Amino acid sequence: MDFTFTDEQTMLRESVARYLAKNYAFEARQAIVRSDRPFSAEVWQALADFGLLALPFPEALDGLGGSVVDLVAVGELFGEHLVVEPYLSSILLAGRALAEVGDHPRAEHWLGRLMAGEALAAFAHEEGAGTADPSLVAVSCTKAGGGYRLDGEKRLVLGGANADVLVVTARVDGAPGSPDGLALLVVEPGAPGVRITPFKTLDGRSAAHLAFDGVEIPADDLLTADAHGAITRTLDGAVIALAAEAVGAMTALLRQTGEYAGSRRQFGVPIATFQTVAHRLADMKIAHTKARGTLLYTAALAEAGRATRRDVSVLKAQVGRLGRALAEAAVQTHGGIGMTDELAIGHYLKRLLAIDAMFGDSDYHYRVVGAGA
Amino acid sequence: MNLEPKPELEAFRQEVAEFLDTAPTDVIREAGRKTTSVFAPFDATMAWQKILNGKGWAAPEWPVEHGGTGWSAEERFVFAEEYCKRNLPPLLPNCLKMIGPLIIDLGTEEQKARYLPRILAGDDYWTQGYSEPEAGSDLASLTCSAVADGDDYIINGSKTWTTLAHRANRMFMLVRTSSEGRKQQGITFLLLDRVDYPGMEIRPIVGLDGFPEQCEVFFDDVRVPQSGRVGAENEGWTVAKHLLKYERGSSSQAPWLYRFVRMIREAAATRTSPFGGTLAQDPVFQRELGELEADVASVEAVEKLAVSGHPLAHDLAFPSFNKTVGTELIQRLTSLMARVSGLEGLSLQLQALTVGGGTAPLGDGFDLIAMPYYLNSRAASIYAGTNEVQRDLIARSLMSR
Ligand SMILES: Cc1cc2nc3c(=O)[nH]c(=O)nc-3n(C[C@H](O)[C@H](O)[C@H](O)COP(=O)(O)OP(=O)(O)OC[C@H]3O[C@@H](n4cnc5c(N)ncnc54)[C@H](O)[C@@H]3O)c2cc1C
Repeated sequence: MDFTFTDEQTMLRESVARYLAKNYAFEARQAIVRSDRPFSAEVWQALADFGLLALPFPEALDGLGGSVVDLVAVGELFGEHLVVEPYLSSILLAGRALAEVGDHPRAEHWLGRLMAGEALAAFAHEEGAGTADPSLVAVSCTKAGGGYRLDGEKRLVLGGANADVLVVTARVDGAPGSPDGLALLVVEPGAPGVRITPFKTLDGRSAAHLAFDGVEIPADDLLTADAHGAITRTLDGAVIALAAEAVGAMTALLRQTGEYAGSRRQFGVPIATFQTVAHRLADMKIAHTKARGTLLYTAALAEAGRATRRDVSVLKAQVGRLGRALAEAAVQTHGGIGMTDELAIGHYLKRLLAIDAMFGDSDYHYRVVGAGA
Repeated sequence: MNLEPKPELEAFRQEVAEFLDTAPTDVIREAGRKTTSVFAPFDATMAWQKILNGKGWAAPEWPVEHGGTGWSAEERFVFAEEYCKRNLPPLLPNCLKMIGPLIIDLGTEEQKARYLPRILAGDDYWTQGYSEPEAGSDLASLTCSAVADGDDYIINGSKTWTTLAHRANRMFMLVRTSSEGRKQQGITFLLLDRVDYPGMEIRPIVGLDGFPEQCEVFFDDVRVPQSGRVGAENEGWTVAKHLLKYERGSSSQAPWLYRFVRMIREAAATRTSPFGGTLAQDPVFQRELGELEADVASVEAVEKLAVSGHPLAHDLAFPSFNKTVGTELIQRLTSLMARVSGLEGLSLQLQALTVGGGTAPLGDGFDLIAMPYYLNSRAASIYAGTNEVQRDLIARSLMSR
């Protein structure tokens, strides 16, 4: 067994890391977040140049055939730098869902444009608490004329206000709770009956609530009516990449807090010499090691096609809880300065909070694990 | 022991309830709903203080001769209970709970006459200038200096974390007037009549929740009258410690903490659990809220003992106990709020949170405040002396026995 990154992965990681260190320092990141636009087009182009937009997709679909571990290797860096570009929403969620459908002209059309950096997509799946379990999807897609009609609401759709296309999960049959009768479809955001309420999230991203009111869907835009597996695999992949981001954020917090505690002096000594501060740092390190170990091990399992529902839930629960605890400890160790918008520390806390809330929080996933799923 | 409620207390409760039901304006109620910090929305809260003062109820804890209510400790507790039940914004603490009582205890007659009525009426707001960039937990190492010059002091240096300095018109502060001896010995406590003296500059600091609440204050040859001194020159440390007792000790946190429990329970009743039914019906959620509520109930029990005069509350460590337990409970409660709100709490809604901002929230009122409250309350274990420092004080009170 070998849980280290390969030479290729290390090379990719080093070049992306160099790019981000140069172009995505915290101040530059804040300038992007504060701008009117939700992300930087130049940075997006750079990610395209690194091949990242095509990385997760199979070669058969003109992708680069990257593995879960490739995505983890890059995802950690995104977390360390708090990258706000829509990689998760457009590539890892919408793009992966399209790729899961595979052999379908509409899916291939949009996936091609996403990989080329010509279009952005959003994955409209979440409906409120609990849609981490896809069988709870309730938005309905009923037969109408030669096509379908879409009704219902999606919440917190990442990138939902800037997408060229929406990849939507909906129910063509059965009741919420049933894994059968789930569909994936593409919807153009300008279609009549689509209402978009855009907002920014507290971790600096652009998102939207979506309402569908009798939206007419041409038959061709229904990609599959048996989508439970595709949705589950898409979410699992996104959860692992998101966990990598969480671990990257934890890495940055651990480093910055260690440095701060070693240099901040009160009572004539560095605060790290107070045992309570030292032990808190030790606990942060323990949390980080558990989270990173779980991440790398789960990624290896997933690459081998052996990651179970339990493994994914263990990972999501652990990064959610340990990430929050580590970030809270980092704020506390910084004292007053840790409470300011000016320092990165609080922004990592907000990112970790958001990551915990998405796709089922730690409470949810611990229960999945505890129930022996 | 005797648990029988006094009948006159029930009559008092009625009177309080009636006033609190009718007196607050809509804006004040909105401020109550949009409170996400111990520092409730400024303008509406000050307006509310004026209304309360009109009734003579702005400072229940002050002595009657200075405008207090003359209520017993039990009556004050009843008032706090009724107040918190109605989700009203808590009055800002700096003036009523900190500098006011300090001036009453240690100020000159002139200072009392000049400042107390305006504090009570909500005409003045005082910011607290203790901390400095290099002097946080180790407050005694402060360096902002005041040099005597005729009837004045000339101040140079800076202060930081001065809460609401950008809304204040006065400031109380600690300055270094001597570098001889132990560092606690050369400190002086000053009242500043204005915050716009020539050479004084205030810069707000934006916090994690996106709002400016704290500030930095810079002093460049700022000339202030020596008549603002409280206590003797170089003896400000004793004065400062006297004030800390007020800053850390509050006798009615439980009603405020129950307010969080109530908000969480109400929100949970409207949300579905991914495991079926509502969140409020979910046993795991019930277990979690139950633990928090039980901890709040223990705080209430301790406070009820304290207001009855029980020796438990005369312990030297009581203010530190109070501060630590209260702030950590707020943090656990707001953390649960954030988790109950979940994804719905992730939207950044600064405009909708602004009182009178006119923007409707994206979700319900609970989702609007859950995350900002959580984020803001991370500071609770930092301000007024970090909880690490409080635990040291608690431990020391044991070891000196
Ligand atoms: C929201 C907010 C409002 C505030 N309002 C005001 C105000 O109005 N006026 C004002 O003057 N100040 C105010 N403060 C400042 C506050 O009092 C200080 O932040 C606090 O005393 C801690 O100081 P520091 O931030 O410099 O942290 P530091 O003292 O640098 O502490 C950093 C960390 O080291 C730990 N530490 C330090 N010393 C020890 C020790 N001896 N043993 C163990 N651990 C230790 C601390 O507990 C903390 O975790 C406010 C702060 C905040 C966050």
